[in-house]
Amino acid sequence: MTLLDVRALRVEFRTRQGPLRAVDGVDLAVPAGSITGLVGESGCGKSTLGRALMGVLPSAARIAGGEILFEGQDLLQLSGRAWRKLRWRRMSFIPQTAMNALDPVQRLGTQMAEVLIDRGGLGRAAAASRAAALFDLVGVDPGRLSDYPHQFSGGMRQRASIALALALEPSLVIADEPVTALDVIVQRQVLDVMRDLQQRLGLAMILVTHDMAVVAYACDRVAVMYAGQVVESGLVAAVLGRPLHPYAMGLTNAFPDVHDKDMRLVPIAGAPPSLIDPPAGCRFAPRCPFADVRCVSEPPPYRYFGTDHRVACWRAEEADDLRDRASDPTTWANVEGARVPG
Amino acid sequence: MTALLQADGLTKTFTRRGRTVHAVSDVSLSVGAGEALGIVGESGCGKTTTARMLLRLEEPGAGRIWFDGTDITALHGHALRPFRARAQLVFQNPFEALNPRFAIRRSLQEPLRNFGVPAHEHRARIDAVLERVRLTPPAAWLDRKPHELSGGQLQRVVLARALICGPALIVADEPVSMLDVSVRAGILNVLREARDTLGLAAIYISHDLALIRYVCERIMVMYLGRVVEEGATADLIAAPAHPYTRALVAAVPVARVDQDRAPLPIRGNLSDAPPPGAGCQFRNRCPDAFARCGAETPILRPVAPGRRAACHLGDRP
Repeated sequence: MTLLDVRALRVEFRTRQGPLRAVDGVDLAVPAGSITGLVGESGCGKSTLGRALMGVLPSAARIAGGEILFEGQDLLQLSGRAWRKLRWRRMSFIPQTAMNALDPVQRLGTQMAEVLIDRGGLGRAAAASRAAALFDLVGVDPGRLSDYPHQFSGGMRQRASIALALALEPSLVIADEPVTALDVIVQRQVLDVMRDLQQRLGLAMILVTHDMAVVAYACDRVAVMYAGQVVESGLVAAVLGRPLHPYAMGLTNAFPDVHDKDMRLVPIAGAPPSLIDPPAGCRFAPRCPFADVRCVSEPPPYRYFGTDHRVACWRAEEADDLRDRASDPTTWANVEGARVPG
Repeated sequence: MTALLQADGLTKTFTRRGRTVHAVSDVSLSVGAGEALGIVGESGCGKTTTARMLLRLEEPGAGRIWFDGTDITALHGHALRPFRARAQLVFQNPFEALNPRFAIRRSLQEPLRNFGVPAHEHRARIDAVLERVRLTPPAAWLDRKPHELSGGQLQRVVLARALICGPALIVADEPVSMLDVSVRAGILNVLREARDTLGLAAIYISHDLALIRYVCERIMVMYLGRVVEEGATADLIAAPAHPYTRALVAAVPVARVDQDRAPLPIRGNLSDAPPPGAGCQFRNRCPDAFARCGAETPILRPVAPGRRAACHLGDRP
């Protein structure tokens, strides 16, 4: 069942040079009870999309079109008040650095109680026992509810902000780079906590990340973003195992593998296009070794390839062949328009 | 073989709010000409402090450092200049490493001036180094300011600046952690080439074993200020000897669908370290610790050809 269905969503930022289309026609379906990875590099629009879904865009940004259907209703038709009522209760947010979610001068227990009492309508005693249960759930000693955030390590702070996000039993949690700032061992432990809770509570989760390995480890589904658009999506096994879009192929080849001694990393030369004045055709075409005339002039439709795998590439039928060629560094070295290193 | 850089017994303690922190305890290492050594560990393991001591940016509390056979431990100011020209630091954050008001030309000229390279050689040196980091043609880049460059391009300039005086050694602390994946690969390839063609020695500091594997032939693993294991990259990753290394290798994220999702062979977290004193600092987190681990501090000793580890487990009856 689709819990969240985003259709043709557009988000623009006001800039002096004109509107910057940070999210430009995104379709995204998030099924209930699974983790969807939203992956892409700096400036691709993944964080803006995450914030748009929560209704917490910065003041320079506005939603320019589309629909966000959540549990059957279009959030964009709701009043600000009605949307605010959904936050925490039906959908909640885990930011990259827990310090952004936690108040440094308040004890963690006080912050938990605030959410549980003010937003959840619990009584003081019920809130206290629920807070303890939540800490227990994320693997932190409930005795530490009387601590301040600075007394916690990075991993424990992140666990505390997960507990906070889960406080009112939302059906959707959006996590923006939740493990990026953590060391690898802590990173794995926090991902395990998230995965475990997601399964036990039957949550849906959107995990915004730049890291394909985090997607491979923790997600069921993935949507790959490039220059404000989703270029490929589907089950992780399909998208990582047999990518159809040249950008997704390039990303997998640029990622070092600790167990591969002969690995040769292949960079994607060039840089993403301007989102104020994006290219007419496929936005990846200027960096794509396989771009032809049509790619440069006409934007590729975001079409189905099989029942559950979607891609925006004119040449997806040739993906098996292109994938072989994409693993050869010389393929990427001679792309017109990508002569400039990124 | 004489080492290009050798350090013996480096130690550093800081005092914070009346508490003594043993940032680095008794670290010894050597790097040969043209060799790349990776220092791996988590935040607070002492890897950055070690690197800063090696470059004489941080005064060692104890220990000695030799560069090219010269003891540089006690040198200061002017006496350190020849060393500074030959051992260069590559900054982690390319967005802060360059003066935002200087054009690229000026950022690259500065080290040449500082180290007394005659002015008529500057242009040729700058062109050559920009070619090396693939900012070509050089003339197209000289007059640009940092804000006109992407992160990857800035990091190439930072590398160029480190390479321009022809160092024998570079020390790079998380050289690509601020960059996107598609861009990292290009920078790492430039670093690899610099070693192959210039015979440059390098010390890489990172928490990322996959990256270290790509550029280093030897790895040193640090935990709470101590070296717990060192050895040839491929061997150490294939068969870690120290239980901490084992956990670290198992935790490295891989971008493959089929992967090991078993719980990591490690308990608790960094704050569970026992108070300093006798015994192994890792024992509270080690799945295999036994009585001796609490009684006696393990010393770093050979466990296989080219491999050393500080662990008692090999002796367990």
